Amino acid sequence: MAKAIGADRLGDFYTNGKVRKRREWRGLADTMYDYSRWLFIMLTLGKFIIKPRNVKAMFRYRWMANYLAVPMMVDRHTQGLRQEYLRIAHIEQDLVVEDVAKLLDSLFRGDRRIGNDKEFSKKVVLVDENEMTAVMMGFPTLKGLSRETVSSYIPVLLNQKAACHYIDVAQEFGLAGDVCPMPEMEAGVSIDDDAPVLGACAIQCNTTCDGSLLGNGVISKRLELEDGIPCFQLAAPLRHREDDVQEYAAQEIRNAIAFIEKHTGEKWDWKYYFECAKRVNFSTAQRLSWLEMSKTDYPQVFGSNLALYTETNYMAICGKVPAFVKADKKISALAERAFRAKKRAAREYRHRAIVWGVQSHFYMDFLVWLLNCWGIVPLTDMLSMVSTKVIAEEDTPENREQAYYDMAWLTENMIMRNRTHGGYKVLLDELWEFCEQFNADMVILWEHMSCKALDGLHGQFEEMSRARGIHLVWVGHDLFDPRVISRQGVRDQVNNYMRTVFREEPIDPSLEILPDEDSW
Amino acid sequence: MKDLKHLIYFEHLLQDAENQLIKEARHDGKICVAYTCENIPEPLLNLPGAFSARLRAPRTGSMEMSTYYMTSFLCEYSRALLERAIEGGFNFADCIITPDGCTMMNRAVENMELLKTMGKDKPKFFFQYMEIPMKADDNGLNLYVLQCKNHILKPLSENYGLDVSDAAIRKAVAEHNEVCRLIREIGDFRKEERPRITGYEFHIITLATYVAPKYLIVDKLRETLEELKTREPEEKAYRARVVVTGSEIDDVDYIKLVEDCGAYVCADRFCLGSIPGRNPIELKDDEDALTQVCRHYMYSCQCPRMMNMEKMLGRRALVNQLAKDYKADGIIYEQIKFCDPWAYERMLGSHILHDDYGYPVLSVDRPYCIGTSGQMRTRIQAFVESIEIKNIQGGGK
Repeated sequence: MAKAIGADRLGDFYTNGKVRKRREWRGLADTMYDYSRWLFIMLTLGKFIIKPRNVKAMFRYRWMANYLAVPMMVDRHTQGLRQEYLRIAHIEQDLVVEDVAKLLDSLFRGDRRIGNDKEFSKKVVLVDENEMTAVMMGFPTLKGLSRETVSSYIPVLLNQKAACHYIDVAQEFGLAGDVCPMPEMEAGVSIDDDAPVLGACAIQCNTTCDGSLLGNGVISKRLELEDGIPCFQLAAPLRHREDDVQEYAAQEIRNAIAFIEKHTGEKWDWKYYFECAKRVNFSTAQRLSWLEMSKTDYPQVFGSNLALYTETNYMAICGKVPAFVKADKKISALAERAFRAKKRAAREYRHRAIVWGVQSHFYMDFLVWLLNCWGIVPLTDMLSMVSTKVIAEEDTPENREQAYYDMAWLTENMIMRNRTHGGYKVLLDELWEFCEQFNADMVILWEHMSCKALDGLHGQFEEMSRARGIHLVWVGHDLFDPRVISRQGVRDQVNNYMRTVFREEPIDPSLEILPDEDSW
Repeated sequence: MKDLKHLIYFEHLLQDAENQLIKEARHDGKICVAYTCENIPEPLLNLPGAFSARLRAPRTGSMEMSTYYMTSFLCEYSRALLERAIEGGFNFADCIITPDGCTMMNRAVENMELLKTMGKDKPKFFFQYMEIPMKADDNGLNLYVLQCKNHILKPLSENYGLDVSDAAIRKAVAEHNEVCRLIREIGDFRKEERPRITGYEFHIITLATYVAPKYLIVDKLRETLEELKTREPEEKAYRARVVVTGSEIDDVDYIKLVEDCGAYVCADRFCLGSIPGRNPIELKDDEDALTQVCRHYMYSCQCPRMMNMEKMLGRRALVNQLAKDYKADGIIYEQIKFCDPWAYERMLGSHILHDDYGYPVLSVDRPYCIGTSGQMRTRIQAFVESIEIKNIQGGGK
């Protein structure tokens, strides 16, 4: 029980159950701050659940039960943090929580089975979970809502076993067991008819991989043929760095916008678009400044919080919510203060790592563990290394044309997709460039075993890292399914490498083996 | 039935990636354009002075090296190709053109490039990756045309000086259509009550047309067609007629295995089978040939990565139509293990063809080479028996 960073044995908080023994003591000021944020989250949840329709949804949708674990998820991502780092993590996490609560509330409001607000539903455009929502940047009166985010993506962050039922449903229906569990779970939700039904239309997208693309077919079958919600398939080019695909990509955006206009009766609003574009550029600038700090000895904004925040801000928000600009400013102010004071987030920094590949979703807080257990600083990760291009933000005739290309570029470069598609250079060659820029001595390479884009370059990663003298630690997992490789299985891969190759002892030995098989 | 005169000849062409006819064509000074996927318009690789060779890895055994590079989770077709490339088995090629279609195929070719498996001592050798539309519409067509220009015609012209004019494309299409016409006519015999060609024989002949230069194989196809016109069919009827649909079947023994179990493979709807791959391309004079070729490929493509609703529904409707046209009793949906696109299409297709169209459906995944699998044999035998029982009970479809 201590104020100082690294004074606690964090592993001692774990039990064999779903939750920890007790909350962490971080000194009076930090503990009170942390507690106030915990109250804020409880208030957010309380405001959500007080509505009868949301209670009804709790009993209608199996995945809703996972939302009971929201406070625990935030706790997992703030382990060991103090001062500015704790505040940065809370700004990121709490805003994401608030945003998801609003998303859930909106979905249930329009859901034919729950709120059945038909007028509201007519203003809803369904979007994919992993989809860049750039095509919604010019529709201020419409809501782009993602059912997959709340039914699949978030539940696994909250509860490691949330996907298991839906994965089994998809496989019982005949889906091969070797596909990526994320679209597999989404397909399972659809097969189970366990997603809210609402919206004037839906925009699907070929997002990260073949599995995501094909999983959409399962969803659109139910959505369009059974629920009567027309679907547009936005086909973003795969070789997104090539000049000769950009016109096609821009036309796809034009077609998607025309589809939305047709089915909602709303018109594209350029004024609103350019307002959003300004916010996108602002967030990009902030993210770049955080990455610049991470290239020094005093990185400030990094790890799984950055990944989650970037994913939400860059992709789901895409300039549409001013609150994220405010959050960006606060984060930057805190980061700069800590940077000037040469502060560090953990007791000891031993290694500087680039985290690459597709993260284990059921163990998103693994990066916190890396830092606290072994002193490995996750400087940046693949999910956070998205587009840094400045898009046109002034409303001129030329920029209105350019805007289609900008939206196309963002859509092509949505998170994960910008690395899993686009040829080996964006996944392989740029990793080594980042290692150099960030002065990293090791790469933590998530090997999501059913991600074919990553697996397909396995040998190249090995050989090239060896040639460059960079330590490459493979961390295998099955993304949404902890039954294949457990959280401890994930940790052991690092433990073994650190002990046998580096011959190091952990900074916090209590974290090396944790009884969290049954934890949320 | 009496053996087909050229069957062994065709079989031999499939024994090695670099078959006798490829050697002959190269000896004639032709450029060998290797490719890997149905989404590459074949006639554009068969311009005057060039010929196409669809890469296969016959008699694949160990795939240890490619498994190291790509792990055991990538489909065996992509791994088999990489293994063969590392072994030097594709050194006959003068270039390779692949679509960034399925991720696995793309990664296989990228590994070939990174490992410098091909093109040694061939300064003009090139790798090209194409963006292929995932929807069939006007925007997709524009993309397809541009990609073919930039990634097929331009490099072939610049590196090897090939004539890529409209006239050259039309000539290549004419040659392509002649092969297609012959295959279609041969394939139509499968519609007969007592077919005069087995599914296995037809598969051999069709596969051979993808891996051998067309101008060298067309005579044998003509002779085979003539021979079939007077061939006496087998007395004994098959126990069931099935359409086989799914991912590419390179292992000819798979079709043999199905037929050994008593099922007649009356129609083939897989990546590089005859449907739609051997449908002729109808060219008009009032539009450039390249656009027409691309339109043909885009609209006829049955790859599950085509993601618009019309295409998705069309894929299942086509299987239904084939089952009707070829009088099938049942449908076998198959996929190469670890193939993501066909994993989803197989799941949906097998349910829809059964539930909505009323066919008995067998849904299976399989390795690249499976010819002697007892497990698969058992499943197909059981499927055939189930169809027979249904027929006995009067359930029909």
